[in-house]
Amino acid sequence: MNLHARISLGACYLFLATPVARSALEAAMSTHMLLQIPLLAAAGVLLARLLPVARQDALLTACGGALPLVVLALFASSYWMLPRALDAALGDPLTEAAKFISLPLLVGLPLALAWRQLTAIGRGFVWTNFISMLAVLGWLYIAAPVRVCNNYLVDEQGSTGWLMVKLALLLFAGWLGTLFVGGNVAPVAVPASSRDDARQANPA
Amino acid sequence: MKAGRAGLVAGGLVALLGFGVFWSATDGFTAFTAETARRAEILRSPRSLPAVALEDQDGRRFSLQDYRGRLLAVEFIYTRCTTICRSLGMAFRQVRERLPAQALGHEVALLSISFDAARDDPASLKAYGQAFGADGAHWRIARIHSPAEVAPLLAAFGVVVIPDGMGGFEHNAAIHLLGRDGKLTQISDIDQPVEFADRIASSL
Amino acid sequence: MANYTYEHTPDRGATAGVLAYLGTACAVLLLMMLVGLLMRLEQAQIIDLGANWFYELMTLHGAGMVGIAGIAGAAVMWHFLRQYVDLSPGIFLANLALFLVGVVMIIGSIVFGHFHAAWTFLYPMPSQSMGMWSQEAAALFMGGLLVIGVGFLLLHLDIARAIVARYGNFARALGWPQLFGHDDGNAPPPTVVASTMVTIVNIVGLVVGASILTMMLLNLYLPEFTIDAMLAKGMIYFFGHVFINATIYMAVIAVYEILPRYTQRPWKANKVFLASWSASTLMVMFIFPHHLLMDFAFPQWMLIMGHIIGYLNTVPILVVTGYGALMIVFRSGIRWDMASRLLFLSLFGWAAGAMPAFIDGTITVNYVMHNTLWVPGHFHTYLLLGMVAMVFGFIYYLGKPGQNAAEGWLDRAAFWGFSSGALGFTLSFLYAGKESVARRYAVHLPEWLPYDRVGSVFAALVVASSLLFVLRFFSRLGAAGRDYARAPLAQGAAA
Repeated sequence: MNLHARISLGACYLFLATPVARSALEAAMSTHMLLQIPLLAAAGVLLARLLPVARQDALLTACGGALPLVVLALFASSYWMLPRALDAALGDPLTEAAKFISLPLLVGLPLALAWRQLTAIGRGFVWTNFISMLAVLGWLYIAAPVRVCNNYLVDEQGSTGWLMVKLALLLFAGWLGTLFVGGNVAPVAVPASSRDDARQANPA
Repeated sequence: MKAGRAGLVAGGLVALLGFGVFWSATDGFTAFTAETARRAEILRSPRSLPAVALEDQDGRRFSLQDYRGRLLAVEFIYTRCTTICRSLGMAFRQVRERLPAQALGHEVALLSISFDAARDDPASLKAYGQAFGADGAHWRIARIHSPAEVAPLLAAFGVVVIPDGMGGFEHNAAIHLLGRDGKLTQISDIDQPVEFADRIASSL
Repeated sequence: MANYTYEHTPDRGATAGVLAYLGTACAVLLLMMLVGLLMRLEQAQIIDLGANWFYELMTLHGAGMVGIAGIAGAAVMWHFLRQYVDLSPGIFLANLALFLVGVVMIIGSIVFGHFHAAWTFLYPMPSQSMGMWSQEAAALFMGGLLVIGVGFLLLHLDIARAIVARYGNFARALGWPQLFGHDDGNAPPPTVVASTMVTIVNIVGLVVGASILTMMLLNLYLPEFTIDAMLAKGMIYFFGHVFINATIYMAVIAVYEILPRYTQRPWKANKVFLASWSASTLMVMFIFPHHLLMDFAFPQWMLIMGHIIGYLNTVPILVVTGYGALMIVFRSGIRWDMASRLLFLSLFGWAAGAMPAFIDGTITVNYVMHNTLWVPGHFHTYLLLGMVAMVFGFIYYLGKPGQNAAEGWLDRAAFWGFSSGALGFTLSFLYAGKESVARRYAVHLPEWLPYDRVGSVFAALVVASSLLFVLRFFSRLGAAGRDYARAPLAQGAAA
């Protein structure tokens, strides 16, 4: 089962690296930034999840806990949001290789490892920061007074910026939404009659 | 967050490292786009250019190296262009008018190069030149003779040309200055032709 | 219909953290009141500071008051919410620490950097100082607000975590099963409902606020990245309006928790109560355009939305709370002391403060009333007479030496001094607003002087009374931290 999952993950990753998939996803700024890059980071997350739990914990301890890993993911992901880095990845095979290696290993993997240790506050803080930074980045792409990428049309940076803003709004609504559903009532204080339990088994 | 002291230290180190990487990757937080980076790099280390056969509006063959000993202002265009190349043409015209008349042709010359070698024949180059008042001697309009040599020349200049989806092209338009040694020494914004001309005049 | 009975929970003293919050809030409150008094005296032309100083003081007063309103509200909420959910004292203190760092940055920016673009830091004013303040001063001010915002975001995330851990999710914490289904009387207590509402709206507000602050900080150093001025104003007003409204929704928890102890009657979290808080959760986020009604460039739907929701939101919580308080007190034989008096006054102040907002929220009225002193009149009524009175009631309650401790004539005099002073002070604002004309520039005509002078006198009375309240609280800090019953039993109530 686990082996099967690992092989599928590897296959997906290799597929993303094929010239066909690359040229398809890198043809537009929006798919490059908002599809290919997140997919590569997601590959890192899955990679971490497929490691044995003991291995994940050992890695987490070795890295000094959640904080350095979150900081690492923050810097590494911000790097690939630089217009200069996008251009470089398109023109220089070495940079492209660095992108394919660093997004899973320095963004997805560390985040997934850190997530295990992060408390609800830590997770909320990462989410809210990510969302507001995504919106601000979107604005930067919309408001940029110059053409930021030599490899993409000038109109694209505006539309990509708007996509980021919309995505930020959607993620925020989604994240808030998760706080409204699921979960269990803690078994304290409330006189727990059987009627209550029936209700709780059927969350709104 | 359960990050202990070790986590804080590691987090700090990662942040420091991250800042270092960002610092060097953006030339000290000055160059966030490939275009700014290209200009900064040329200023630091002027670049030699390949000897490419050019053909001007009268069908004369020449190369960039023929201009050695003189300063040469270069811009890249395609004659069907109705947007940015018109600004480029106007900018060059302003440069020409601003330069001291006695130096024109002797100490400094202007050259517009079309990267659309397939479509821009000498006749259309001539029409373009006439539209902007190029004299065909001190300011020539040329195309790259062999289509195979277009890519190497553009790459040497750091110019990226992409189709705009409407039959035309979009490219990182700028005014380039070649020194007396034939090397690319300076790249300037197209909306600052007067400053560009003044810098040339002061180095005559 | 569910049955509600009063369940007595023992009075707990305030933790050191809560006392630190309240101490900070009280000290800054007094200082900012003095700053406010200086501003009134300047407008009354009794003193002469000059326009630059006036706007520096106004910026300081605004930022300081909004900040401590948040801090004091958070103290009330945290103190009572702790009875129901497991909150983190570390995060609570971290918020105060970040707040103090932010305050130092803001004071530095105003006093040393002469920043005076008002606490609303409307784009593009901070970056267009015309040489009046440096870029660094503007960055320090907005950076200070950002630091304070990060602290509050952490606090609310902790509250969200604790509520979700105890009630499963926000829907249950808002009592939706009871609201939309059968009311079995097991809805979360009013404190939890109110805290959930505040947490939701403040998280949204703070994320929007952090975004616009980051954008403006970037714009300060990269001016070529311009911001749509209307978008900036919308985002700032959204964040600012939600945050300041949330302070009163936090402070009102003191009313929900303390008044029932006096009369041994429960505060009912019934369907009407739950419905009003759930409705306001949404509406609070959409009423800010009622301050933009004279900005004709805003999309029309936004202005109409502000108008309608501004009207609607005046009603639910306010009426439900006012009615609830009357039900608690009516024929209860309540024994009035400073705490219960101040809490009752606060409900009057809140209601009274909502009326000018209601009137000003009418588009046609807004054209002639906004940008006059009517607006400070409106928010001073609900903040000073409402929110601050709730906090004063809370600190009197905490510091009360014993159930039947007698009160001196000085305290009682200060209560009447505070209520009449605050009323006179806010009415002078409102009347001056009604008499004057809407203006785009800082013109203060001589015809309006009498109102400013009357206002100054009342303001001085408010400051003097508040000074006594605060001194009394500081002298009773020891008692405030101990656990014992404070509310006197109502006459005729079963012990």
